[in-house]
Amino acid sequence: MANAETRKLKSAILQGVYEENLKIAERAPSPSRRRFRRYCRRARIPVFLLLLAAVALVLPRFPPFPEQRPGAEPAAVAAQDPLLPWSSILANYTTPLALPPAERMIRGPAPLPAVPFDAGRLLDYDLLLNSRSVRLSSVFGLGIKTIVIDPGHGGKDPGAIGSRGTREKDIVLAIGLRLRDLLLQNGRYRVLMTRDDDSFLSLADRVRFANRQQADLFISLHINALPQKESNVTETFYFGPPSDLYTLRLAEQENRGSEIKTGDFRNMIKKIGDMLKEQESATLATTIQHSLFSNMKKYDKNISDAGIKIAPFVVLLGVDAPSVLVEISCITKEEEELSLSTPGYRDRIALFLEEGITRYLSQRHFQVVKGEKNDKKIGNKSG
Amino acid sequence: MTKKSATKAAEKNKKLLVGIDLGTSRSAISADNGNKKWVESYVGWPRDFIARKVVGKPVLFGEEAVAHRLSLDIYRPLKNGVIKEGTARDEEAVKELIRHLLTLVRPDSDDAKVRAVVGVPAESFKVNKVALKKAVAEFAESLLVVSEPFAVAYGVEALDNAMVIDIGAGTVDFCIMHGTVPTEDDQRTVLTAGDYIDQQLENFLRERYPEADFTINMVRRFKEEYSFVGEPPSEVKVEIPVEGKSTQHDITDEMRRACESILPAIVETTLELIAKFDPEYQDTIRENIILAGGGSQIRGLADYLEQAIGEYGPTTIKTVEDPLFSGADGALALAREMPEEYWTDL
Repeated sequence: MANAETRKLKSAILQGVYEENLKIAERAPSPSRRRFRRYCRRARIPVFLLLLAAVALVLPRFPPFPEQRPGAEPAAVAAQDPLLPWSSILANYTTPLALPPAERMIRGPAPLPAVPFDAGRLLDYDLLLNSRSVRLSSVFGLGIKTIVIDPGHGGKDPGAIGSRGTREKDIVLAIGLRLRDLLLQNGRYRVLMTRDDDSFLSLADRVRFANRQQADLFISLHINALPQKESNVTETFYFGPPSDLYTLRLAEQENRGSEIKTGDFRNMIKKIGDMLKEQESATLATTIQHSLFSNMKKYDKNISDAGIKIAPFVVLLGVDAPSVLVEISCITKEEEELSLSTPGYRDRIALFLEEGITRYLSQRHFQVVKGEKNDKKIGNKSG
Repeated sequence: MTKKSATKAAEKNKKLLVGIDLGTSRSAISADNGNKKWVESYVGWPRDFIARKVVGKPVLFGEEAVAHRLSLDIYRPLKNGVIKEGTARDEEAVKELIRHLLTLVRPDSDDAKVRAVVGVPAESFKVNKVALKKAVAEFAESLLVVSEPFAVAYGVEALDNAMVIDIGAGTVDFCIMHGTVPTEDDQRTVLTAGDYIDQQLENFLRERYPEADFTINMVRRFKEEYSFVGEPPSEVKVEIPVEGKSTQHDITDEMRRACESILPAIVETTLELIAKFDPEYQDTIRENIILAGGGSQIRGLADYLEQAIGEYGPTTIKTVEDPLFSGADGALALAREMPEEYWTDL
């Protein structure tokens, strides 16, 4: 390589090193800057709503869709462009979308009747939520502060039990504690555990804890048990109607003893429409599942990737924050049970989970949401 | 300005540039005053007053710490490639390790301000950057943190269309260089590394020689002396006590099985990372693979990998000349060439 070219490369690389390190410095602000940022974060949503109100008053005076391509559907344009500008969402918002696009094109740039300002309508996010390709967390500039880790079962409820007596509740607690330590090392998050010892908590208790602590992310850890003793599967769930019978049975199994009343349940159901939660849960599930499977297959080349699934787990429904339930692997496979009983393997699983969570947390900006449904049926969870 | 005051000002502005390779198993430092040192990444504090009296020091490092392990609370802070457990004590251990490395290369009379580039396992770079900055802040005027394989690549000037595989104790780090600072997508970490070989070898030996009495430290020494993959250069025979009597044991098969246990993950990850790269340059990268880290010293490893990866196209694998210092030397090269304006106060 010519000297001049090497010098040029090195110069670009050194600048890159500097910029990357600058980012680290910015991530660890001084206490006073931290307090100031916290104040800004709290003020962000009210300020955003005020801005929205101001823009909504101004925008109707301008012709909508000034750069619309002939024949293109507005929604299709939005779906194709992962870097959807915020202004185009507002354009959708202030324009009657029921109007057929062709008709709109005939009219050309003629101004549509101005939509009268209706403060109440500002709180109706339906149109905004129709832009499925946009990460709402990015739009709203929402950050993550509190992460709640929920080791499943505990106390009188051992969860699944392996043939050598290894109990799900012990394994997920050990992995959860390790995961907490790993996330705390980052220094940017408040990481809480629904339980940090062998105590029993109902699902309602777990939900209440996460909501009371204003969790921004909720990660429930479980180990699966399958009648097919040779199978080892990893899968990650977020809330939604079940995609198959197996998932429904698994949900019944994990929901047992939830102690949630029907009245409360009705209120909770309303949350299903929360697009933001769904988007974030799907993205988090994707990054966790990818990291978990791609790393675990190095230890068990026969492990199956059951992918991301949607299932009606009560604990996922009740928590306000984006939430996922991870079925790490299968305790019913003897080799896996042996591995799970070693601290080194549990530490590694915690690292894989942490890698997936870190990858999710590092994803900022607008992007196409990548939740995937995988209906691959592996088997039914045994009692 | 008089000559005397100019000399004084120059003394005041004197900087010591160092490159540090903070490894899971060994940590090394290279300074621009020509000093180079390494230490095993163990830090130990005396457990109590009596232990403090016995060891005669407030904190011990490396082999000395291992030798006195029964009297110490001993830490290997970067086990598994990240600051372990995240306890204050582990962060303290990283801090002590860096302090110790600096004292090894800096003469007592030298009060030059330190500017450091620290290479850390890729996994640690991802999660512990802030903690590492905090740990070094006390001893250095300015610091830049980079991933270890990147430091190695910079040191050997493998800046474009090259791949570094850094086989350490806790992790194997992969890094593709393409003329810029590698991003997370250009790097991979696999946890089956040197420590995994030790565990495997220990298991195999306990299975075959249940009566033999040995520790994991002995197993590690066997590995460092005799590790190989493929055909054995010679039979591997070691002395292991049985009921107190030193007895010779043939561990050739066990050594091969243990060392080869990390190969599938290395081959698979190498192929996966190359396959993700621009197809026009995949052949070039395959012909420019560099092995670094202690694991690169496993006999037959480069040939084995060349053959396995060679099934996908012509492959050339080189091994760095000095695996112990290649990371620290690379970090020092970065420090030397870093423009003045990029050094910011901690």
